[in-house]
Amino acid sequence: MQFLECRGVGKIYASKAGPVEALRGIDLAASEGEFVCLLGLSGCGKSTLLQLIAGLEAPTAGSIRVGGIELDGPSDETSIVFQDHGLFPWMTVERNIEFNMKARNVPSDARAARAGELLTMMRLSGFATRYPHELSGGMRQRVGIARALTTRPRALLMDEPFGALDAQTRGRLQEELLQIWEHQRTTVLFVTHSIDEAVFLADRVAVFSPQPGRITATVPVELPRPRDPETPRFTALKKELRRMLVPDMHGAALL
Amino acid sequence: MPSRVFGLLPLLALLVLWQAVSWAQIYPTVLLPPPAKVAAAFVTEYPDIFRNAAASITRVIVGVSLAFCFAVPLGLLIGRYQILDVLADWSIQIFRSVPPISLIPMALLFFGIGDKPAIVLIFLAATWPLLINTIFGVRSIERTLIKVARAARASEQLIFRDIILPSAMPAVFTGLRLAIGGWLTVVTAEMIAVKSGLGYMILNAQLTFRSELIVAGIVVIGAIGLIADQGVRTLRARVCRWQEGLTAEAE
Repeated sequence: MQFLECRGVGKIYASKAGPVEALRGIDLAASEGEFVCLLGLSGCGKSTLLQLIAGLEAPTAGSIRVGGIELDGPSDETSIVFQDHGLFPWMTVERNIEFNMKARNVPSDARAARAGELLTMMRLSGFATRYPHELSGGMRQRVGIARALTTRPRALLMDEPFGALDAQTRGRLQEELLQIWEHQRTTVLFVTHSIDEAVFLADRVAVFSPQPGRITATVPVELPRPRDPETPRFTALKKELRRMLVPDMHGAALL
Repeated sequence: MPSRVFGLLPLLALLVLWQAVSWAQIYPTVLLPPPAKVAAAFVTEYPDIFRNAAASITRVIVGVSLAFCFAVPLGLLIGRYQILDVLADWSIQIFRSVPPISLIPMALLFFGIGDKPAIVLIFLAATWPLLINTIFGVRSIERTLIKVARAARASEQLIFRDIILPSAMPAVFTGLRLAIGGWLTVVTAEMIAVKSGLGYMILNAQLTFRSELIVAGIVVIGAIGLIADQGVRTLRARVCRWQEGLTAEAE
């Protein structure tokens, strides 16, 4: 059985100019431990879908199941990581990491122990008592990921987590994320608009099209890991995805 | 950053100007006492000035504290729940436009002469800036942060304590500074509604032609204002330490 399952999911927002259809007929599934990238240009509804799966909003059509249970608000099985990291500026790194556990009433000594583990794992040990604004962008996002992992989620929902980082930091965090994923075997749903990122990370790529947001293709990435972006197969796959992403432009210089 | 001592320059210039005007005898000494005479008043009238200043400060502290305990929790709730905002918005906009001083006659009728009307007035004067700034503080919370909390299934209580309150704190302090700045309301109230305090002292000095005591009272009022503001800023810097280096103001 699929661990994560969307069936016929649609989302219509009311706006002053009338209803806006953000998503239509989304069928998407991810098995336990699978890494799925949601790839699309901005405004194609991929982030909206992630918010729905996170339980932050309810779909207007269809159903979403996490761990076999129909979603009704945020699930204990998932954790979300945002692009703008969503760290609380008034909390130290340590307290930020502890927040999700605090929300679930984990006793404070257990919280501290688990936070310590994640500080080590994310190579943040020397920064426990710093405030987020004292950290670099890459480190902030490591804190965001650490916080998401504290509750040992079975699925990690990531909304363009590396979108605001420079290329080098981004590459390093991608590799770190893969290590974590291989180690913990969590399911990952990863939203991105970067074809490179999707091909580098994913087991499977769901390609989105806008107006209304829908999935037009699902492409398995059958490249051996660790992947090398220089290989012809990697490049060929990128080309194929680019064609799917912007069919009428034949993958023009846009990307 | 330039040295804080710079801030004394305009004050020194004012003092020099004052001395010069006194020497030039532009106004009779009865109207504009020279600095030395005011300084002497501080020495001879010291107990009186101190007693009246203490009376005023006590009223301000009581009034502003009451306003703080009332307006900040209310502001947090109004900022968080839209239905309360819709409910309260018009009333807030109407009542905050009423100058507290215009309520002195009403306060006198209700509470008579004494501490009560003065405290009620400063309470009213302090409530609005505290309430409005607290609401603004809650409103300006980044949406992502609330999403993080909801995704983590944080209780409403935890959201208030760990997110809304600390995030609104800088704005609450801005409100507090404005509220304390409104302490002139107390001076005005004391001129009419009470028989003690700096306002009373100044008015009384006018009736007895003791202009040096008027100026002394004004100096004390200004000094207390400065000290109070510095105190709130220091407290804010301590409570909102996380803001260091985050805002231009802290530079």
